[in-house]
Amino acid sequence: MDPLTITAAAGMRSRLESLDLLANNLSNTSAPGFKADREQFSLYLSEETAEAQDDGTGVAQPFSPVIESHWTDTSQGELRLTGNSGDLALSGKGYFQVNGEDGPLFTRDGRFTITKGGELLTENGYEFSTTDGKSIQVDPSLPVTVDPDGTVRQQGLLVGRLKMVDWSAETASQKQGGGTFQLDSKSLQGLLDSTAQVRQGYQEQSNLSPAEASVRLIETLRQFESLTKAAQIGEDMSRHSVEDVARVAG
Amino acid sequence: MVRALSSAASGMTAQQMNVDNIANNLANANTVGFKARRVQFQDLLYQTMVQPGAAAGSQSYVPSGLQLGLGTKPVSNEIIFSQGSPQSTGNPLDMTIMGNGFFQIRRTTGETAYTRSGEFHLDNNGNIVTAGGDMLDPQMTIPSDAQSVTIAQDGTVSVSLPGQTATQVIGQIQLANFPNPAGLNGLGSNLYVPTDASGSATVGVPGGTEGLGSIQQGYLEQSNVSVVEEFINLIVSQRAYEANSKVVTAADQMQQQTNNMRAT
Repeated sequence: MDPLTITAAAGMRSRLESLDLLANNLSNTSAPGFKADREQFSLYLSEETAEAQDDGTGVAQPFSPVIESHWTDTSQGELRLTGNSGDLALSGKGYFQVNGEDGPLFTRDGRFTITKGGELLTENGYEFSTTDGKSIQVDPSLPVTVDPDGTVRQQGLLVGRLKMVDWSAETASQKQGGGTFQLDSKSLQGLLDSTAQVRQGYQEQSNLSPAEASVRLIETLRQFESLTKAAQIGEDMSRHSVEDVARVAG
Repeated sequence: MVRALSSAASGMTAQQMNVDNIANNLANANTVGFKARRVQFQDLLYQTMVQPGAAAGSQSYVPSGLQLGLGTKPVSNEIIFSQGSPQSTGNPLDMTIMGNGFFQIRRTTGETAYTRSGEFHLDNNGNIVTAGGDMLDPQMTIPSDAQSVTIAQDGTVSVSLPGQTATQVIGQIQLANFPNPAGLNGLGSNLYVPTDASGSATVGVPGGTEGLGSIQQGYLEQSNVSVVEEFINLIVSQRAYEANSKVVTAADQMQQQTNNMRAT
């Protein structure tokens, strides 16, 4: 294939992946604490081209745009008053730490339920981590209040303190579904204390703005259309060179 | 491409379920003691295309990788046990719990169910029963010649009998509460039964320190459905459904354009 078609095809592929990201963002507009994913493009240089460029021997081939990675937009979602004491939302940067099956997980979805044994569990059944590493044991028959700093109290008495952490922007986090994030073991060492405040009786809404999503949807669609046209032109040119240029006069 | 279609489809299914739930809340806006439900969603698993932290070069690594999400799922529709507003009816057997407790109801099957609906009646033996005919627990029998029934805030039921000046106490209503009322299982007819998630019932007398609340005679607790809020949720849900259906259209158009590219 000619370079034009190759580049256009790569662009089409990346637009398809953009739509995948967008579809997931849009389908999760009702998931509390959901953070939208954004794409990050890079120009991909094939190995041969890169070598040829370094040597100064080759001709620079066109670059293919690909989505190299996504980044998660961690901006604050709107807090919605639910009045339900089992809803916790974070105002500010940070995450609740919970005890996942294989190591700690992090979430901004602070809905909790109390089991009859008095454990505080997330919607996924994970236990909340505490600052002192002990699990929180509450009296199931009494109401639970959570202070802005994460201190869990029953009838004014301290029961434990929820662990809230944050990480630097360079840290590689991975979404695990169910509103949770996972970090690699190296990043777990460098966790920071969160400055976020806990708001009981609130839920954090997804941080995707519907207006922006609609604009992106149209954008993706139109870009895809243009790229299809470009691929078509590349194909037309190839056809012309084969059929018309090579035609022997007369 | 299939990912975009299935993510959007999961979003549409989720919003449909949301609308179903809103419809049920609105349908029960005038049901005594009804508690609204709220559907909760979560994101599904992610497909990792580029592992975060993978080496991108000899010195650098990929900071966040590429993960494509696969949509959303409804995880629960929990019951919101906020207080409904009491409405005066003047009927002596209408009661409202001002607080977090539940009336205990002995069902004909023998098990105990719990309700917030304080709309009670008498059966042919003078027992206090629900509209469905299930007996209030502990059992209260009003003598047939009773002139009036008084239920105090602490649940004490007393009657005045003909020819007697002092009222006669026939019993005290007890209320129950749960560690996690949102985990109760709804049976319909305003009845709930406990589950592992709700925990087991704590029983006590009304007005005590357990936070069970006090009883108000002559009032009925209206449903806690806020019609305005439900309508707002309906609009939000409808728009979210629309947005997801636009993604389906976009995915379809892109697929169509690919298919229509001329082959040489």
